Amino acid sequence: MGISSQSARPDPGTLAAAVAAVLMGAALAMIFFYVPTDVDQGYSQRIFYFHVPIAMTTYVLFAWSAVNAVRYLLSRDRSLDMKSYVPMHLGVIFGSLTLVTGAVWAKASWGVWWYWGSTQLNTFLIIFLFYCAYFMLRFSVEDGEKRATYSAVYALLGVGLIPVSVLAVRVSQELIHPITFNRNGANMDGSMFLTFLVSLAAMLALAVSMYFVEMRGKRLDERVRRIRRLAEAAR
Amino acid sequence: MALVRKDLLLELRSREVVPAMATFVLASFVLFRFALGGDRLGGGVRAATGLLWVAVVFTAMLGLSRAFASEREHRIWDGLLSTPVDRSALWLAKACSTFVFLVVMQAVALPLFWLFFLQEGRPPSIPVLVAALLLADAGIASLGAMLAGLASASHAREVLLPVLFLPFAVPLVLVGVQVTVATISPQTSAMDTLERLGFLGLYATIFALLGWALFEYVVED
Repeated sequence: MGISSQSARPDPGTLAAAVAAVLMGAALAMIFFYVPTDVDQGYSQRIFYFHVPIAMTTYVLFAWSAVNAVRYLLSRDRSLDMKSYVPMHLGVIFGSLTLVTGAVWAKASWGVWWYWGSTQLNTFLIIFLFYCAYFMLRFSVEDGEKRATYSAVYALLGVGLIPVSVLAVRVSQELIHPITFNRNGANMDGSMFLTFLVSLAAMLALAVSMYFVEMRGKRLDERVRRIRRLAEAAR
Repeated sequence: MALVRKDLLLELRSREVVPAMATFVLASFVLFRFALGGDRLGGGVRAATGLLWVAVVFTAMLGLSRAFASEREHRIWDGLLSTPVDRSALWLAKACSTFVFLVVMQAVALPLFWLFFLQEGRPPSIPVLVAALLLADAGIASLGAMLAGLASASHAREVLLPVLFLPFAVPLVLVGVQVTVATISPQTSAMDTLERLGFLGLYATIFALLGWALFEYVVED
């Protein structure tokens, strides 16, 4: 029965939360007061500094989850299952935010809530659907090794789905769509790129601190459940 | 090979899956015909071809939901798993029998499709349609055998399988519709068609490899 000892080192979760708070403050300040307004798109372009970093964080979370899924299948260590599930869960939260900010931005710059011709939007939508299905699978299999294994297998099928979706959206386009705006870092002004990087770092730090919070919650849950089981056995 | 034979024989004797799939696809066509406006085909052959792909995917799911039914109901797994057969061979057998079921179902569906929807307006190229369907079947079968295995272990299996499968069907339908619909317009280059058919082949290859590699984790106990 492992009751972890409290160490004197600062808790990584608290540390990550502090870093996230500082970076988020800096990013917000830069987005609204430092970075110049985009010539073509005007003020609304500033949502770019939220939307793209959130989308990138989503991909990072999914990759993180997939890596832990492979590690789980290889080692069968149950803690890795949790470490695969939590980033997936956070990925869906960040994914929903990506879809919402993307829709707002699309409305502001193209006049529609969703642009079905956009490669990025459509690819993201497919992958988002996939990860929602992951939860359906996870919570319909009884808790135990089977749930962990099946979740890992499904997560890895998702890794196959990512290139497939990107390619599908590409090859199915009948003509090359005009690129309404370019998201390449190289085509950005220096101050814009800096703001973008700070914002990306802030989102990543936020994700990391959320990860620690959720992992801690899950561990507590597990411990409470174990204590309850012991108490029931003792009765 | 013996495992594929077992699945096909079982189906020949019980006639459980394929007739249900064929009836389902027929009923869907009737529904789609009315959904597109009964006497005059609204949206034309393009819309109908899109719906053909939707019908194919839904019918495939109907078949897949029974893919592991006999194994589960008659406890065949326990016997199969105690034999020294490679786990991946079980996946391959299931994928092959699913592929055969899909092809048989489409052999029924395509003439019906032609009769219901291709009488008005310029039809898509039939060889391209057949090639695309065969490649898509290979993809659906290799992925579907895997997902049906995953779903059959959960207590919500009939509901779960479509939920697991549909996100994967999106790229397939997207390209499948595009490759067939594009042949309606005369400007489509053969290169575009080949590229899209190539994609369908790649899809089947990727999920066959993943199925082959991961299936052993699905049936381990």
